[in-house]
Amino acid sequence: MSLHYTFPPAAGYPLNRCLYRLKSDDAFRERYLADPEGTLREAGLDALRIAALRALDRDRLLALGAHAYLVFMAGLRLKMATAPQSFERF
Amino acid sequence: MPLCAAAALPHTPQLLVRPETEDRDMVLRVHAAYALAKHGLEAARTDVVCILGGDHIEGFFLTSVPALAVYVGSSVSGKFDRYRYTFAVQEPLARAILEHGVEQGFDLAYSQDLALDYAFYVPLHFAMPSPAVPIVPLYVNVYLPPQPTPARCCAWGRALRAILDARPERVALLASGGLSHFPGSDRYDSPDYDWDHQMLDKLVAGRGRETAALTGEELDKAGNVEFRTWITRLGAVGDAQAKVISYEPSWHHGNAVVTWPVA
Repeated sequence: MSLHYTFPPAAGYPLNRCLYRLKSDDAFRERYLADPEGTLREAGLDALRIAALRALDRDRLLALGAHAYLVFMAGLRLKMATAPQSFERF
Repeated sequence: MPLCAAAALPHTPQLLVRPETEDRDMVLRVHAAYALAKHGLEAARTDVVCILGGDHIEGFFLTSVPALAVYVGSSVSGKFDRYRYTFAVQEPLARAILEHGVEQGFDLAYSQDLALDYAFYVPLHFAMPSPAVPIVPLYVNVYLPPQPTPARCCAWGRALRAILDARPERVALLASGGLSHFPGSDRYDSPDYDWDHQMLDKLVAGRGRETAALTGEELDKAGNVEFRTWITRLGAVGDAQAKVISYEPSWHHGNAVVTWPVA
């Protein structure tokens, strides 16, 4: 059984950086929501990675070196930004 | 001054910002357990909260990944959704932890400028004593392999206890995280609750330091990479018998609130 949280390969760095920014960088997330393709291309991703990220396809993203937690939280933060009314805040 | 309180608290962000998929009653029961922990910190007349947390790739991205670190600024801030947090930091205590820790052979990293992670501010949102006290954020790398070994975490906790006991402040030592969950993994909807129950039984029996013999692989397979913060705190409290205030398994996360006597 392989581990759930594995060493992020250097080749996955640009992809992980985009996931990290979608998670933690409000301005980047807003730019992405306005122009996903252009924002990710500008951030250095190729068509394969842009497609995987836009689909939030976990298996493909992990195969491309993405860190599992970053995939999860980037997805949650995008949902919180696009459907804020579906969350209850304490 | 001896340590005045010790506890473990969950930090899953769904407790702060609840999606429709999260059971509301369960969330409110965890909030009630947080309130009990908060009262415990107040009753202990806590001067400073030292909180061991595993950064969720927020303060430390792949630009730099320390195994163990101490935040040594005068204040620290974090943000999540519409929430904005700023906490005063007990700088003299943070420096003492850093300097004595390094003298004792722990090669601690430090920072004076980090974005605070929700591992720290979610528990503090609910359990910070009133009126608020300063904090010291203590970092244990849990999500970016290779993480520190359980044995190393336990040894650091033991050294940390000696440093804290020699301080003039009344310090509460919190561990944030756990129990079993697999964010981003194909096991997200099937945490290892059996592992959690067996571990809690062991801690209630006062066998906390046995956790130093766990392996990193075992923690990962049980969805408990964050348990390293608990092991560090267990190094500090030794074999004191844990009191389980609450264990609330959601569909994806074992939320545990646990305290230890430190007198």
